[in-house]
Amino acid sequence: MATKDNLVFSSDDEEYFGEAGSFGVPKFDIEMRGGIPRGFTVVCIVETGAGAELFAKQFSSPAEEPENTLYVSTSESGKEILRVFSKYGWPDDINVRTIGEEYNERVLEKELQASRYRLQGFGMKDIQTLAQTRFVDDEADDFLTELTNEIMTLKPYFRAVVDNMDFFFQRNDHSKVVSMLRMMQAHTQMMRGLLLMTVSKDTITKATESEISMIADMVLRFEVFMVGTEFETRMVIKKFRNAPENLAVITYRVTPEEGITPETVQRIA
Amino acid sequence: MQSSSYTRDRCVTGVHGLDEILRGGIPYGSTVLAAGTCGSGKTTLGMEFLVRGAATGEACAHFTATEPSVKLLENIRQFPFFDMGMVDSGLINVFDMDVLYSWLGLEKASFDLEDVHALIKAITDIVNTIGVTRLVIDSVTTLCYKIKSEQLIRDFLFTLGKKLATLGCTTILISEITSATENAHWSSFGVEEAICDGIIVMGDVERMGHLLRFLQVVKMRGTAHSRAKNTLELTPLGVMLTPMLKWGSTVDNKQGWG
Repeated sequence: MATKDNLVFSSDDEEYFGEAGSFGVPKFDIEMRGGIPRGFTVVCIVETGAGAELFAKQFSSPAEEPENTLYVSTSESGKEILRVFSKYGWPDDINVRTIGEEYNERVLEKELQASRYRLQGFGMKDIQTLAQTRFVDDEADDFLTELTNEIMTLKPYFRAVVDNMDFFFQRNDHSKVVSMLRMMQAHTQMMRGLLLMTVSKDTITKATESEISMIADMVLRFEVFMVGTEFETRMVIKKFRNAPENLAVITYRVTPEEGITPETVQRIA
Repeated sequence: MQSSSYTRDRCVTGVHGLDEILRGGIPYGSTVLAAGTCGSGKTTLGMEFLVRGAATGEACAHFTATEPSVKLLENIRQFPFFDMGMVDSGLINVFDMDVLYSWLGLEKASFDLEDVHALIKAITDIVNTIGVTRLVIDSVTTLCYKIKSEQLIRDFLFTLGKKLATLGCTTILISEITSATENAHWSSFGVEEAICDGIIVMGDVERMGHLLRFLQVVKMRGTAHSRAKNTLELTPLGVMLTPMLKWGSTVDNKQGWG
């Protein structure tokens, strides 16, 4: 693994990747005065229905190096994700990991099987297999550590998205998730990567929210509310490290051509 | 009317000396607690009990909770009385409790009532399906550590013993104890000894500077038996029990039980 001491960025790479990367939303890049600085970790605190899943996918779409771009989903299937990428014409050769599917396969199916054994008992074949099984399949179901390890192995200028962190907050001690997030943020900073994570507003406590907001370089809040008889969606840029002038409230809509598209911008700072 | 000379059918253990002590063997369907200190030969005794049964065609099962089955089989296969073919042919079925827990979704620190019932059902299912007539659980102490309530341990052992007896299975529950002296409990949780049909105590006694293993049948419902201490030797041919001589003890007067 690269360390601070042995990590050298070539001038060619620096020139190619630049100081900032794209959010995947051109109008948003403009509003943020050139995009997202390399090394940033973005935390999106989202409300259901605000379109953050699409924004997460859109964020991975610039995929400067597809093999160094990772999209982790905890709820969607691989097919669903690729269908959206293909609909918007985004590159579909990035690395996709579907932890939700893995969880179903590794944990839920095992639990279902255990329930079946408990309810219906063992058949002769089961007993024969049981008598010949000498070791417990101890494949760790620690998805949080796996996720952290996977992010920590990404190379310089990587781009990674985790949609969303609720899965980990619901299954782990919040302090453990925050510690892992801290490690991932440090790695992103060191590798000049770009990391975006989403988390639902109602999943975390105020204390956890303020802790992860402190760790993140940028905090976006996705909100949805009713105006008259219509839904309106907006994004509040609550934190932008070293650039408070970027703090803003942006209303946006979703178009079939561009995905998330900012409409109006109201500066906060 | 039943004759007064009625005797229960016996499960002939085949362990040298034990059947003589038990006047022919363990009464069929009994649940016997083999309580012993560390290194007293409990596992070997349990395994030989199964091997002798398998040699006469009985289906046997061993549930190991204290050591992995791989290690257990490696240790036991050095005894000439043991034949690995009995495991391969399914006459002796060795089950890892860890694997069983995993299959039943019981990978947790403590068991509740539902878990205990699931475990009893699994064990009796196995006994019933294979037609097991000899069963060893090594050790019931390790297993019961996961059952936090004394009442639940009592229910577990009582229900398990009752169900196994109904299925005609003679069971040895191995129990780890720290002392085998007369003041010691023969069980770790204080309930096993009251529920079991028989109690066999195993421990060490010092004789003329030597630490001898001993075995003593303290209780066995359904049969007359000797309550004398017997020296237990682990020979290449298996466990060998011989009546312990009274002379030469340096500690008998002080400790009585060894």
